[in-house]
Amino acid sequence: MKEEMNDEIITEKLEHIETDFIESNIEEGNGKNVVKVRNLTKSFGPVMAVNNVSFEVRKGEIFGLLGPNGAGKTTCVKLLLGLLEPDHGEIEVFGLDPGKDEITIKNNIGYVSEEPLIYKSMTPRQLFDFIISIRNLDEAEAQDKLRYYFDSLEALQYYDKLIATLSRGNKQKMQVIASLIHDPDLLIMDEPLTGLDAKSAKVVKEITELHTDRGGSVIFSTHILEVAEEVCDRIAIINHGKLVAIGTIEELSKMANKAGADLEDIFLRLTEQDESVNKIINDLRKMMKNNNKK
Amino acid sequence: MQNIELYKLSKKVYREGVFHSQLQSAGSNQARFLERVEKDKIARMPDMILKFMSAIYIGILFIIPLRSFGEIYGSLLSGTSIEWVTLVGGGSIGAFLLFQPIILLVFSITFVWGLMSGGPYEWVNTLPFARKDVEKLGLFTFFRSMNVQLIVMALVLPIGSIVSIYFFLGEQISIVNCTILVIFSIIQSFVSIVFYLSIAVILGRKLAGVMEEHEGGSKKNNIIRIGTMVLYLIVSMLAMYTIQIAMDKIPLLYASESLSPQTANIINIVLSFVAYPFSSSYILTGTVIGFFEIPPLVVIGSVTGFILFVILTIFVFSKALRTLRSITSTDIKLRDVEERKIELDDIVAKKVTPVKAFFKRDLSIITREMQGIMYLIMPIMIPIYGAIVPLDFQSIGSYGLSANFLVLVFYIIMTSYMLIVGLTNIEAGGETITASMPIVVRDQVKAKIPYFFGTILLAYLSWFLFAIKYPEFWILLRFGLLYLLAIPIIGIAGLFFKAATFGKLKNKFVLEEIQNKYKFLKYVIGFIFVAVLAYGFALIGGFLGYWIMFGVEIVSLALLSVVFHFMFPKLKT
Repeated sequence: MKEEMNDEIITEKLEHIETDFIESNIEEGNGKNVVKVRNLTKSFGPVMAVNNVSFEVRKGEIFGLLGPNGAGKTTCVKLLLGLLEPDHGEIEVFGLDPGKDEITIKNNIGYVSEEPLIYKSMTPRQLFDFIISIRNLDEAEAQDKLRYYFDSLEALQYYDKLIATLSRGNKQKMQVIASLIHDPDLLIMDEPLTGLDAKSAKVVKEITELHTDRGGSVIFSTHILEVAEEVCDRIAIINHGKLVAIGTIEELSKMANKAGADLEDIFLRLTEQDESVNKIINDLRKMMKNNNKK
Repeated sequence: MQNIELYKLSKKVYREGVFHSQLQSAGSNQARFLERVEKDKIARMPDMILKFMSAIYIGILFIIPLRSFGEIYGSLLSGTSIEWVTLVGGGSIGAFLLFQPIILLVFSITFVWGLMSGGPYEWVNTLPFARKDVEKLGLFTFFRSMNVQLIVMALVLPIGSIVSIYFFLGEQISIVNCTILVIFSIIQSFVSIVFYLSIAVILGRKLAGVMEEHEGGSKKNNIIRIGTMVLYLIVSMLAMYTIQIAMDKIPLLYASESLSPQTANIINIVLSFVAYPFSSSYILTGTVIGFFEIPPLVVIGSVTGFILFVILTIFVFSKALRTLRSITSTDIKLRDVEERKIELDDIVAKKVTPVKAFFKRDLSIITREMQGIMYLIMPIMIPIYGAIVPLDFQSIGSYGLSANFLVLVFYIIMTSYMLIVGLTNIEAGGETITASMPIVVRDQVKAKIPYFFGTILLAYLSWFLFAIKYPEFWILLRFGLLYLLAIPIIGIAGLFFKAATFGKLKNKFVLEEIQNKYKFLKYVIGFIFVAVLAYGFALIGGFLGYWIMFGVEIVSLALLSVVFHFMFPKLKT
């Protein structure tokens, strides 16, 4: 009973805090914005994948898109890349329209997708020669970078193997290297740590930090709270296509403390997963108790 | 675990293997394939269609021994030498025994290699099964992949013999020989089935090794892989045609004795010692003619050859069992490849022009995937099979060479469209890479144009080589040469049409299928568009004159160039 009352209070408090946070964070944008999204909407038939979303990504920051699976993060990312056309709203990347200035924008973007959809019939050698040719990069410079990244991600032994035969983690490494090879200003990473071993994940996180230290920006989409907390400077929480909260970790933590809950509770509540999680945990406990090992 | 339960379980493992093969064959179109199978359950079972098709083909082969047995006595009565009759009988039944595994393998191997990769057994190995049960499961699963064909195969020869006895041989040969014929047919069928099944296991394993070879980038590996797939396609098409020809020509072969009895006898002796497929075919022919009628050396040779065949079968069967044992074990390794250590200095970046890069990428993808290879080979094979081969082997009928040329044009339409679909499908793969790259569609299109000049033109020019013996050829030559330009035009125009109907975005056209509404209708209209162009040029040539057709082709080419600049403008990267 006491727990239920607490929940109600938290929910009430959250409703006020949420709106304030979103407004203040969006208005904070200035001339240094790399990405500007206003009232972005995209639906697939009856499904509203992105619903009136607005946010900005600043120069030199790691901006997290956090939300449960199917929240609309990947659709947001695809809209930014110009892979999908929005139903409504505006997108600016480096002050340009992705629909019109695609080539200029893509010259300055590195992309790691959630699923490593890279040419499976090629070897990394063929793939990177292809990328270097299409991006018209300097051979010597690209070669140095390739050597550096393959070495630091411990992927040298896969250079002549078919990509189809690589593990999920190694395919992910290929994607990460492909996103960095042209030294882009903006990195868009959709669940980039999926499948990576601890060491490679650490290296990738380090790369994103170094990238922002040098003035680059990163959009880091993830559904794992701890990762977002560790990596991102600011986080936008998306649920059912809607932006439900945006702010720095401190701001979100303050919001959580103010409501008398921790960040995980806040995340689960904002993404409407708290009730189902509690139910699952209770059911699990019951089942485990009934099936005690003899 | 009971055998019956294991056999039931093998269905699941088999389906997993089939799915694995389908995924492999889909290559860069895996995402699209997965989308399709989700919607369409029948798309998950293409093996069933191939199973029944091959079973029907194997059943049709029934005609070869039937016709051969039926002709033997007629030929002997009409004065043909016994040596020649033995040669044609032994040869034709030998061909029948050879065609059986060809059909079996050609139709099944696509799915067999999925089973032989070992992947489908990985999960089974995590379950609490005895090692022996998993091995049995491997055997049952493999049998399942060919069960219908093998049952038909087991019945074809014995039934062929019984029908021959009933209709042609009953009054000509003794009861003892009739009994030997039926019994030997059954023994032969049983041994052959074990032999074919074993060969399929061993070949399937080899092919799985080639397809999934880890050292994917080496030149040697590329050649083996491409060669295997090309051979598979060529064999599949030519086998069907050769069977057709063989069935037509058997009576003619008996009648046209073209070797002296002495020469025929020497060939008979040599062939009868060949364990497979001739030893059995000579025993069967000898039984029909009578063992005391044919030279003793042929009898000795065929019996020795058959014993060797049985020994060979035992040998390959034990090898097949070992292979099955290895693929069902958890420590499966496709081939002991010596790992080459890659040093930092081995990473060398090589830059080419974007058009060349796209061309190389397309070639690399096409030659690594079954579906891709088919798109490249079919434009050559289909016209050869449909229009060129009849020119050489059969009478082209009362319609003449001009009609055959129009048939060739139809195949060119089909294959042009296949090439259009195949080449644009490549763009559906590798989304992550292409999504974020500054791709100029103009470069992508330019890289695809050479493919329209290569494969289809090769088939088109081959037609002239075969048509040269017909008197009409010289009349058609000028027309044919002037029509040459139309072939790349229809392919390229079809490519632009597809981009216009599927790839229209706000500000540009792309080769990916973005606008998927009315997909089927768009495909049909696209095909009609290509057909109208192809027959349009031919009709202009036929009714208005060759040179006018050539003029229209030149104008079309100029128009295509304008459309190209409009649809795919130059952009600065």
